[in-house]
Amino acid sequence: MTSFLRSRTLLLTGAAVLVGALTTGCGGGKSSSGSDQTTGVTITVTLATEPPPKASLDAFTQSTGITVKWTNTDWDSLQTKIAAAATAKTYFADATNVDWSRVGQLGKLNWFHPMDEYLDTKALAGEMPQLPAFTSNGHVIGIPYDASFLVTTVNKKLFTKAGITTMPTTIEQYTADLKQIKAKGVAQYPLNIPFAAAEGLSTYWYQTTAAFGGTILDGAGKPQFATPGSPGYRAAEWMVDALKQGLVPPGNINVADSQGQQTLMAKGVVASTFADYSGNVGSLYSVPASSTVVGDVTYLATPGVSGPGPNMSNPDGIGIPRQAKYPAAAAKFIDWFTSAKNQAEFAGAAGPDKVMPGYFLPSRLAGMTELTQKGKLIGGQQLGDLLKNSAKPVFPEGAPSWYPEFSKAVYTNLHAAATGSVSTADAVKAIAATADKLSS
Amino acid sequence: MPRRLPWARTLGILFIVLWSLVPLYWSLNTSLQTDAQISERPANYVPPGPTLRNYHALLTGPGEIPETIRRSSLNIVVECTAATLITVVLATLAAYAFARMRFRGRQLLFYAVLATMAFPAYTTLIPLYRIMSVFGLVNTYTGIVLVYVSGFLPLATWILHSYMTSLPLAIEEAGQVDGAGRMQILWRIVLPLAWPGIVSTAIITFLFAWAQFLFPLVLSSDLSTQPLTVAIAALQGRHVVPFGLLNAAGVLALAVPAVIAVSLNRFIVNGLLSGSVK
Repeated sequence: MTSFLRSRTLLLTGAAVLVGALTTGCGGGKSSSGSDQTTGVTITVTLATEPPPKASLDAFTQSTGITVKWTNTDWDSLQTKIAAAATAKTYFADATNVDWSRVGQLGKLNWFHPMDEYLDTKALAGEMPQLPAFTSNGHVIGIPYDASFLVTTVNKKLFTKAGITTMPTTIEQYTADLKQIKAKGVAQYPLNIPFAAAEGLSTYWYQTTAAFGGTILDGAGKPQFATPGSPGYRAAEWMVDALKQGLVPPGNINVADSQGQQTLMAKGVVASTFADYSGNVGSLYSVPASSTVVGDVTYLATPGVSGPGPNMSNPDGIGIPRQAKYPAAAAKFIDWFTSAKNQAEFAGAAGPDKVMPGYFLPSRLAGMTELTQKGKLIGGQQLGDLLKNSAKPVFPEGAPSWYPEFSKAVYTNLHAAATGSVSTADAVKAIAATADKLSS
Repeated sequence: MPRRLPWARTLGILFIVLWSLVPLYWSLNTSLQTDAQISERPANYVPPGPTLRNYHALLTGPGEIPETIRRSSLNIVVECTAATLITVVLATLAAYAFARMRFRGRQLLFYAVLATMAFPAYTTLIPLYRIMSVFGLVNTYTGIVLVYVSGFLPLATWILHSYMTSLPLAIEEAGQVDGAGRMQILWRIVLPLAWPGIVSTAIITFLFAWAQFLFPLVLSSDLSTQPLTVAIAALQGRHVVPFGLLNAAGVLALAVPAVIAVSLNRFIVNGLLSGSVK
């Protein structure tokens, strides 16, 4: 998800969540009494994406008797709507977005139906590697419908031009290569790090921390990065040092994630993005209308401490709000929407007529395999392997309910360290203090 | 007496003007460029080859975007106009009553109405949403307009109250002597005199309504009631931000209030200053 967009409504959503927490606490989070009817009903699906092709939705209606009314709302606004509707215990959609970073909040507030009431989530887990990220209090509250994860992208042409013929597998080698690209004058600033105070900076740090071999929080929400020398600490130092050493464009202080991908990476200004979006090679860098580096950019297994490291997952999911009018019908839709066949078709496996705009990576391995076998996914084999083997949740035990506040502390402090207004040590200390306070 | 510093004043004015206009110019500048030009380094301070392709994509292009823009434009006009009319009518009656009629608790009631302006709008969002839901008014013009009216009525009442108290009482008393009733005095004497204040109140209300985002976002569920401000936000892609398209939509959304503000500026100033000098 384009994360820099998220900070805009953070305050409001946070306030609504707080009210929600209080009212849920007082009211015990009573379930709504939605209808079990699954034929002859119209359900509203609200997601931050354009709908599947009309023909596909019509086919679903024909086979199930469920009509789908689709509403496209931007991600930020959608989080506000979800919080407002749940707090006011008011219906607004039968199925809507469950983002990986909100799972803890949504689960704790009991705002979504457990999906295991409707689907065999245990069976799905083997097919959807990112499903565990949607578990809260032992229940799956959303089904991932895409396979977004963070991955390193490199402009091979620029690497080659600088005399680098073997792609780096460790972060040490990766850093040395970037310095070489700069020294040879191939790119003045070879690395893209979005230092704008926005969610994208937080996720970049999570991915870098994972590459350094660590995690952000333990199962109890305690910070794992406070000690100098710990992976998270080193990751923060590495990022800030990269800026200070001139590896990152100075203007990136105010550049957000997708902005950097669109205006720096896609234009060949930088040679690499360490934590890029997993669909960007196919959907951005290989599209002539938006890129001047078509065919030059590839995915790279995350350079880690002593070899390839993990890739942090940040998928979007779909779930059923408590106030849904037709939860059973919504579950049928979700089952259909996230089926391997449909996912592959939405991503282009069956030609342009069945493509869902903005949909690139199936969350099901079978969908990814079908897409790759048909040659419809650039870097598909590599992405499939990454999804299956190295894509890990940022928080193995689910995002904590206080995640938005924590993330805000992460990006504001790392941004401050990048601008030089605080030292990296103080920034990390402040982030750790926030995590300690929130988790206690 | 301290020496006057005309250059400092000019510099200050220049700073404020640039501070206000540069973002608007940048939005217009971006809207007139292609995506490739937008991401060029260094940035283009003037469009290298001005193009209307973003506006075409918004208004006549393929896909659902033009329909969304057209429908949401209609929605915003309907909602803002209805809210403005109702607010002005109710505020006129309320302001006249507070300004001229003598009844127990008048002052208390007036200040109570004004005090509602001190509440942060966000605190009323959830209760209003709940109320609208109970009455089946979510995703209806009626629901959105009612919320706008409830939000803007205190300010409108205050402006008109200030205006009406500045009108000479003697004319109304003359009407009273001639046997005119309250409503006749209001209709035939006060309204013609207060017309500039009413116009300014209407303009201010309309501009406020036009700028709304959060309330219509929550109270509307689909394109049948979503105003332009909400529809524009939905143009953002999941992973890619269409800068050109967004800026073009922003310029379009800005056009109506900008024209109103520039052409009717004297009314706005008049309304805001009414009652400040007696």
